[in-house]
Amino acid sequence: MKNRIDRRQFLKGVGVSLALPMMESWVPRSLAAAAPPGQLKRLVCIGTYLGFYQDAFFPQQAGANYEMPPTLAPIAKYREKMSIFSGLDHRGRNGHEGWRAWMTGSATGSVSMDQLVADHVGAHTRYSSIQVTCGNPPGDARLSYTKEGVALPMVGRPSVFYQTLFRSDSDKSRIDYLLKGNSSVLDGVLEEAQSLQRKVSRRDQKKLDEYLASVRDVEKKLQKQRTWLEKPFPKSDYVLPQFDPISPELALECETVMYDLMALALTTDSTRVLTFLVPGWSQVFNIEGRRLSAGYHGLSHHGNEAKKIAEYNMIGREHVKRFGLFLDKLQAHRDADGRSLLDSTAVVLGSGMGDSNTHDNTNLPTLLVGGGLPHGKHWAIDRQAANPRKLGDFYLSLMQGYGLEIDRFAGASHNLNECFS
Amino acid sequence: MEPLPPAVRGFFKSHCFECHAGDDDFIEGEVNLEMTSIDWADSDSPVFWTKVYDVIHTSDMPPRDAESFPTATEREDMTSWLDGKLTEHSPVGGTVPRRLNRVEYENTIRNVFGIPEFEVPYSFPTDDSESGFDNVASGLILSPPLLAEFLKLANRIADEVLPPEKGSQSVPSQRYEIEPDGFFTSEGGGAALAEDRYRLASSRNMASAAAWTSPFEVPHSGVYRLQIDADVFQTDHMQYPYRESPFQLAVYARQNGEQKYALFENLRNLGNFLVAPGADHPPRFQIEVELFKGEVLGFRWTDGPAYSDPAGSLEFSRDFILGRLAVDKPLYAALLTLNREQRSAGQVEFYEIVQNILQSGELDMEDPRLDVLPVDIGGGIGDNYHNWVKAIVLEENHRFGPAIDLWRVEVEGPFRLIEDEETRIRRERSQRFLGERAPGISDEAFAGIFLNRFLGQAFRRPVSEDQMETYLDVVRGHLRQFPEARVEDALHLAVRRALVSPHFLYRSTTPGILDDWDLASRLSYFLTSAPPDERLRNLAGKGELSSAPVLEQETRRLLGLPERKRFIHNFTGQWLGTRKLSGIMPDPRLFRFQATTRVFFGEGHRRAMIDEGELLFDEILIENLPLETFIDPGFSYRNQPLTDIYGGELEGWEMQRVTIPTGARQGGIVGMASVMMATANGVDTHPVHRGVWLLENVFGQPTPPPPPNVPAVAPDTSGTVTMRQQMNAHTADPTCARCHERIDPLGFIMENFDPIGRWRANYPIYTDPPDGSVELEEEFYSSKGKGGRWGPEVDPNAILSDGTRLEDVTDLKRYLLENIDLFAHCLTEKLLTYAAGRPLGFGDRRVVQHIVENSSEEDFGFQDLIVAIVLSESFRTR
Repeated sequence: MKNRIDRRQFLKGVGVSLALPMMESWVPRSLAAAAPPGQLKRLVCIGTYLGFYQDAFFPQQAGANYEMPPTLAPIAKYREKMSIFSGLDHRGRNGHEGWRAWMTGSATGSVSMDQLVADHVGAHTRYSSIQVTCGNPPGDARLSYTKEGVALPMVGRPSVFYQTLFRSDSDKSRIDYLLKGNSSVLDGVLEEAQSLQRKVSRRDQKKLDEYLASVRDVEKKLQKQRTWLEKPFPKSDYVLPQFDPISPELALECETVMYDLMALALTTDSTRVLTFLVPGWSQVFNIEGRRLSAGYHGLSHHGNEAKKIAEYNMIGREHVKRFGLFLDKLQAHRDADGRSLLDSTAVVLGSGMGDSNTHDNTNLPTLLVGGGLPHGKHWAIDRQAANPRKLGDFYLSLMQGYGLEIDRFAGASHNLNECFS
Repeated sequence: MEPLPPAVRGFFKSHCFECHAGDDDFIEGEVNLEMTSIDWADSDSPVFWTKVYDVIHTSDMPPRDAESFPTATEREDMTSWLDGKLTEHSPVGGTVPRRLNRVEYENTIRNVFGIPEFEVPYSFPTDDSESGFDNVASGLILSPPLLAEFLKLANRIADEVLPPEKGSQSVPSQRYEIEPDGFFTSEGGGAALAEDRYRLASSRNMASAAAWTSPFEVPHSGVYRLQIDADVFQTDHMQYPYRESPFQLAVYARQNGEQKYALFENLRNLGNFLVAPGADHPPRFQIEVELFKGEVLGFRWTDGPAYSDPAGSLEFSRDFILGRLAVDKPLYAALLTLNREQRSAGQVEFYEIVQNILQSGELDMEDPRLDVLPVDIGGGIGDNYHNWVKAIVLEENHRFGPAIDLWRVEVEGPFRLIEDEETRIRRERSQRFLGERAPGISDEAFAGIFLNRFLGQAFRRPVSEDQMETYLDVVRGHLRQFPEARVEDALHLAVRRALVSPHFLYRSTTPGILDDWDLASRLSYFLTSAPPDERLRNLAGKGELSSAPVLEQETRRLLGLPERKRFIHNFTGQWLGTRKLSGIMPDPRLFRFQATTRVFFGEGHRRAMIDEGELLFDEILIENLPLETFIDPGFSYRNQPLTDIYGGELEGWEMQRVTIPTGARQGGIVGMASVMMATANGVDTHPVHRGVWLLENVFGQPTPPPPPNVPAVAPDTSGTVTMRQQMNAHTADPTCARCHERIDPLGFIMENFDPIGRWRANYPIYTDPPDGSVELEEEFYSSKGKGGRWGPEVDPNAILSDGTRLEDVTDLKRYLLENIDLFAHCLTEKLLTYAAGRPLGFGDRRVVQHIVENSSEEDFGFQDLIVAIVLSESFRTR
């Protein structure tokens, strides 16, 4: 009998020792520290596939008196409206697949942060969220995931993005025709399933319930789409380029157009949640009249060689330049309350790639602009601390800023509210 | 509710209640036996009581440290009572409606609609697997996002076979001018902007290396005129003699944004021009061509000195650069002086560094290394022959010639619109899909003929009159609502509906013994992952398929079709776990350390590993070899990449059949590289993972998952403790020991295989950091492996739970051959689960037992096993 008691105590002991820290973390942190004071209404997340060179992205100094790092120089004027975070990541697995976890915390199968925000703020816009990229993204690149863990497709052609925002009448009538058809299709198959269900066993009925519930759910979504289709689309005098610049060599040109359209998506209130995957392949860029010495992907594996790093940084700066022009547009636009749109929009620029040279997914570049939050600092997270803050903590703060009641995300259970108070 | 007999309650009370009764919080394994009756109507009951039966039958319970043990008679009485009850309440069959999984859906669309290239998009939800396979009905959930995706795909598929009518359009002709800065290349080397012109040095046979008009994309499919201003660039400083004969310029078209690495022979060649040297003005070349919407134009010099369409580009580059080094000793000497930083410079810079060294004259022409050509290039620029050609040869040609210069390209058109490829394919596909329309018949009659055929195929059985009326109503309703619509538009709607109908998305729903139609589907999806072909449908229609001889004949016929590869791929991908390989990235230290040459792990290794298992499976299947062949085949399929794993010498990437001695370490599924890699994590090995895999997939004795809250043993690879020492904790605690006594010994035997399946006698101790940052090799010639040393010896000794002592993996194979029924049983269960789409119940056990008993007959082969499974009651019952 002695043995038995030992065993039970062992199991109980394990339970207790695990329960203690968990109990502590169950206490909602938002009660302990104040939620970010920003009244967040919109979210934009931009991830560069091939990352940034850390030493050119992170300032040398922590705190408010940092020297602006070269990659971020093009947006230096937003210094008081932005926060830089170093030392954040998910503490997860490394490698190519790790990129996909940038906004979810795990490589596959879980919801991304933007989609939780979209569920919360997306009900009043035509699209609860929109995902874009440039051209056909690299085969394994993914950014946003639904609650079911399904990767959302991204729009890669500017003309398609434009059509989504400013539908032409002929476009609208074809969509309306298809939506009506889909509704009648669903009505029909619902009847087929119900008549089938009457003929099968109880266990089979339960299985078919999945089908019936799905049909009813999708019907509701179709109804919503039709309601929105009836509401007039905004008009725009934006002039698209003659051709979609979707080939990899023109990715920077495409990026410019995508940013323009993203600004229009926000200013027309077509959506309040946008994600943008800025892709990278082995294309050779011409920057400021100079042809780079190697392809983008090759430069990202710079082997710590100074010349390659310099060229890799030239591309990084080109991304930030375009990002800056996008911020200018948000800054210039006033919302209904007369506030700058930037002040109610949290804009995240970062990457799922920490160090592209070694495919390392730690210490991910993370920049937050706007949202009317207290800004101006470089927050250097102590990675050696006993319980270091994770990227998930940053996401928790953001989500709480939209009013989401959430205490755990991506393996994190604190938040970073101390950075915004 | 069935009351428990007093004897049964007494048994539980005496021998089980110590752990399996009382307060739910303290029940072991969530198994509470304190009850007075069984509710057989609850579908969980048979599963629960089967578990109870198993642990009592195998004497797994009560555990060895229990207080009280039943006598043999008590045990016997108990199991025979449960056996009777379970046989009564757990009959053969019971697959719930089985949704098509991703692969089956794709194949079904391809076959039914005649769209062989159909693929679902990446945003298509993945299927969960249950009981080891992703085609098991209970795991195939239908969720709202999946249904939404099916609905979206239904529109896309209907558009493919019944394309909506496009209004006629007229497009005015326009002129587009492409200046030199309007050309792009994605790789460098072959083509580059040279001030006021775009220069083409000869380039590899790949789209990525040519000049493309990325900003110009063909706006409408039609006839256009191209005007190309191009001339030849040659100077006195060329490495090559001045050339008087013309240079050949080739013009291509391809879809914009298409993948970059396409070979030119797969691209559309619009025309070739001969550009003669010595012209005063760049001559203008003109051509009228058909261009399709979305295409871009490409330009390439095809008969230059480097890469003039050689078959093997890699071999060509190597020979080319070695040829140059053989005659250009100063260049070779200059390369030998490069330091590490110089060697990793970019292409343009590398060229300049080498030129500077050459001009400085400080070269050691006495270096003995100059007398032999390098076996491995190993001197920088990524150590890649292509890059060397780009950096030394093409860079030179860009500066001094020879090359072709493009000055300007003008595109004018369209003068006349043409049908684009997509429209043509859709139109022809639509004609095939709809079938011949007899002259003079009404729309409704035509729709009736079409729907009868189409729905029969889509629903995999003849449609009832009710169903026909329902779908005809869809067509009639649409034509009434849109009087100007074509019958194709009405059918478009009916096809969309069929594609989300439960009759399409779910396989058989009729309970009991499968009728001919459901049997045809089950057989066909089992062996080809696709719906029944015409012959199966004919046999089902005549009611002949269910006769045993016909069913056997059809099974053997399907196994002779190339489509069986899908079964082999899907089944082995899950049984042998090879699907996991794509997610495992081996630690580079594995190769740096042991490598005698520059070995690295690539897609070729992964592909070959998977092929090895599939080809072995295929030969055993086709040749109807005995089941022992899986364990000790005496042959395998290998190629050159696999020699990095298994040793030996083979040339080429083609998989070749090789003979290997029987009774050896290599061969068969036990210790196969793909399995060894799938059961490790790419960095180190863990005996538990491999032990669990062997129990589950070879011995057929799956173990339950570990209890919650027990931390896993984290491998210590520092080399100070052996894996065996680390695992002792498992056997010290009786709770753990119950399973680990069976798991760990099997795992230890496999420790001789490293994380990618190479044989090892010792564990490695790495001295490099694990982050994969590779220090560049110092020596010019490739160096021997570094970064580690051999640590403690691997100790593969093991004692199985039945007391058998095994020295290493060859003993394990011998043990399996002597007890082949274990494996036969396991494989039969796996195949039957995959085929019937359900976890096997108690009732299926005697079916499996019967099949296994027959399998010991003389000349019984693997194909016979598949036939026996198909003919069995379990397969033929839903």
